[in-house]
Amino acid sequence: MPTAGSVLRAAATLVAFALIVVPILIVVLAAFSPSDYFQFPPPGLSMRWFIEFFRLDNMRSAFALSVELALASATIATILGTLAALYLARRGGMLANILQSLFVAPLVFPTIILGVALLLLYKTIGMPVFSGLLLAHCVVGMPYGFRTVLASAQGLDPSLEEAGQSLGAGPLRTLVLVTLPLIWPGVLSGWLFAFIVSFGELNTALFLTGPGVTTLPIEIFSYLQFQGSQLVIAAASSIQIALIVILVAVVERIVGIARITRAR
Amino acid sequence: MRSAWRWFLLAPPLALLLVFFVVPVVYLFWVSLHAGSTSELYGASLTLRNYTALVGDSFYLTIIGRTLAIAAVILGLCLVIGYPVAYFVAMLPPRRRMLATLVLLFPLMVSNVVRAYGWVALLERRGIVNTTLHDLGLLDAPLALLYTPSAVVVALMTILLPYMVISIANTLAGLDRRYLEAAQALGASPVRTFLHVTLPLSAPGIASGTLLVFLLTLSAYVTITLVGGPRSKLLVSMIYDSVTAFQWPRAAALAFVLLALALAFTAGMLALLRPGRVQGSAR
Amino acid sequence: MNAHTDDVRLVGVRKRFGSVVAVDDVSLGIARGTIFSLLGPSGCGKTTTLRLIAGFEQPDAGDIFIRGVRVTPMPPYRRDFSMVFQSYALFPHLTVAENVAFGLRMRRVARGERARSVGEALALVKLEALADRHPRQLSGGQQQRVALARAIVVKPAVLLLDEPLGALDKQLREEMQVELRSLQQRLGITAVFVTHDQEEALTLSDCVAVMRNGVIEQIGAPRDIYDRPRNAFVASFLGASNFIDGIVVGRDAASIIVETPAARVRVPGDRSAGERVQIAVRPERLRMEGSDAQGLPARIRDIVYRGPVTHFHLDSAAGPLLSYRQNARASDFRIGDEVRCEWDSDSAVVLDGPGE
Repeated sequence: MPTAGSVLRAAATLVAFALIVVPILIVVLAAFSPSDYFQFPPPGLSMRWFIEFFRLDNMRSAFALSVELALASATIATILGTLAALYLARRGGMLANILQSLFVAPLVFPTIILGVALLLLYKTIGMPVFSGLLLAHCVVGMPYGFRTVLASAQGLDPSLEEAGQSLGAGPLRTLVLVTLPLIWPGVLSGWLFAFIVSFGELNTALFLTGPGVTTLPIEIFSYLQFQGSQLVIAAASSIQIALIVILVAVVERIVGIARITRAR
Repeated sequence: MRSAWRWFLLAPPLALLLVFFVVPVVYLFWVSLHAGSTSELYGASLTLRNYTALVGDSFYLTIIGRTLAIAAVILGLCLVIGYPVAYFVAMLPPRRRMLATLVLLFPLMVSNVVRAYGWVALLERRGIVNTTLHDLGLLDAPLALLYTPSAVVVALMTILLPYMVISIANTLAGLDRRYLEAAQALGASPVRTFLHVTLPLSAPGIASGTLLVFLLTLSAYVTITLVGGPRSKLLVSMIYDSVTAFQWPRAAALAFVLLALALAFTAGMLALLRPGRVQGSAR
Repeated sequence: MNAHTDDVRLVGVRKRFGSVVAVDDVSLGIARGTIFSLLGPSGCGKTTTLRLIAGFEQPDAGDIFIRGVRVTPMPPYRRDFSMVFQSYALFPHLTVAENVAFGLRMRRVARGERARSVGEALALVKLEALADRHPRQLSGGQQQRVALARAIVVKPAVLLLDEPLGALDKQLREEMQVELRSLQQRLGITAVFVTHDQEEALTLSDCVAVMRNGVIEQIGAPRDIYDRPRNAFVASFLGASNFIDGIVVGRDAASIIVETPAARVRVPGDRSAGERVQIAVRPERLRMEGSDAQGLPARIRDIVYRGPVTHFHLDSAAGPLLSYRQNARASDFRIGDEVRCEWDSDSAVVLDGPGE
């Protein structure tokens, strides 16, 4: 039977979820608006803003760049994160703990400072824009793969790798034939997180993008700052959301929801 | 021979982090100790003036104060709203809890600029709140909801709330029920069980949630600028402005002030809540 | 230990973990085609010794030889052995057949011959029907047999087994003990296994090494170790034993006379007068006779029925005693009866007194 406490908690949850989700729903709804400005309730649904989005050169290229950047940085970040996780999986001791903290550090370090620091470094050594941005996103994305693969690798029965060795498989073959087939869900969910983070990343892109090299979130931000609230932005935002939803759905099919929610 | 092979595992990721994470930050600190320059990235002489100027300048102190005040309010709201929500989610049966977690995780995957835009669309003069109230006849002139500190607080709070809820809910869900049963067997009422057992044992979740929210509040440039407006400057806005004005030593010093605030808060939080002492199991 | 016919040899092997010496100057030889077991309580170093033979640990000192080859510097995947792990360690992502074939793949055996060998190995453990299943679909006993098939199909010089039957229930374990032994004898593989279960060691092995604190207390055939334990630890680790303290007061050519608190007894042995000794007698060898017989006086304190035998707990001036009596013979002993304890002269073993 419901107590006052549990009613309050349920109410708080409802309010909280509404506050969290409603702004996003509004943006998606606005994207389908047939008129020049957002009306609530909407008079109808139209795809005109999506068409406008793909018509605009800067929007299209920002979208393409974001996808390229996310694909490349997620892949590199996950490979590197996997290597680090495999190295640390069965190690203890002070050095291993320090290394582990280091590999997780980009998650808690204010990325805005990283953006400033990297821009300064890039200006000093003359780094091309896309490469600089790519490397920044690799740094930001690596902890995700590192964490999920570390959890997977540590969950493995240590005898499995020893069994491989007892049957004659050297370190490389053990890795490829025994370890990787068993940790790949961790690798895949790490990749997914790194992709999503890169695709929506603002704080380093703020500093590291340049003329001709902009990501979709930064393009949206510039539009909002300088051209006001145009509905093509809503379309751009909805496309960003849609891509994420599709990606998560695909990976969930492959890996299973429990893994994704537990991996965090 | 075996350790040489293992070195191949460690070297690439370590190299990336050292070169593109540690080195730039150290370099930034190095630059913060230099005087400014109009022609170069930074001047030649070493100085502490960038930091001392900040401490002595009431303009910057006001901004830092405002930043901390807003952060404190956001933290408070996230805790007050977030804890009961986390409790509710943690008590759900496993399937529903997973679903709730997914609903909480999803907004975090959407870029902050999109979520901030949602609040702009809600709060602006021709935004949803104003036009709805107007259409309902409750309003004649639109309210100035956007570009206020409250708007920043509300927007950031809703953007960061999922972090707090997930942190606390994970800890609560992992709590061994036997602790609660033991307390009740010793005569504690539900309220006292909560205050003396549940709450202290959820300290790790509270600590990590609070840290995350605080750190992200300090760095949330896009949300602050979009929802707070071009004239409401917080610490992070000053950093951005200094960079666009090519005042690197100043930008660097401001960045490290922000970092110092983050570290001080972290140290204070860990000392206060001492999440490390909540280890062990009910067996 | 014979360097020429031993399949496995350890010479002066030492291994420490931090400040703990897990294996302390161990030397042993394992003859070809025998089952050798390492027996002892937890922490005695038996598992470490096994892992040293496998190569999962490196010794701090000493050498290890497999079929005459000095394998000490070699990593596990280059040594000629295979292993059955305590958790079976079957690869979850491979079928039973693929698991068994793994070692053959590593040795680059051609596909046709691989399939044939896998089929034979599975037939040996009677699991041909399950070749296409995955490990999670098998019971514990079936998994154990797959692990065994996987290890023997590669025809290793030595087969290592780490508490292979520990996870099975009692009945299954006894069945597997018999199967294991018959399999080993049929194939003639040299096997080394680790166990803390002394019954298992006695049942399965041709030779047993009893270990404690990193040191081998005694090596020998099960019967020798059981009947002639070298010290009180070995005596009480393998089955139960009675210990009667005393002082040697006299001797002749083949035996000594020991003064115990309960009686003066004569046992075979070679000690000097004045030495403190312990006489060890197995409970099944301690006979109870009526109070008019010779022997150590005692009184029955408790009688516990145990199916095939009955345990009699006795009190004597020499301390508590235990006697097993087969229930095939009728008896009318009751609690409180005074009896005399006797044993055949070759049933007693003289050990150093406590603290010697």
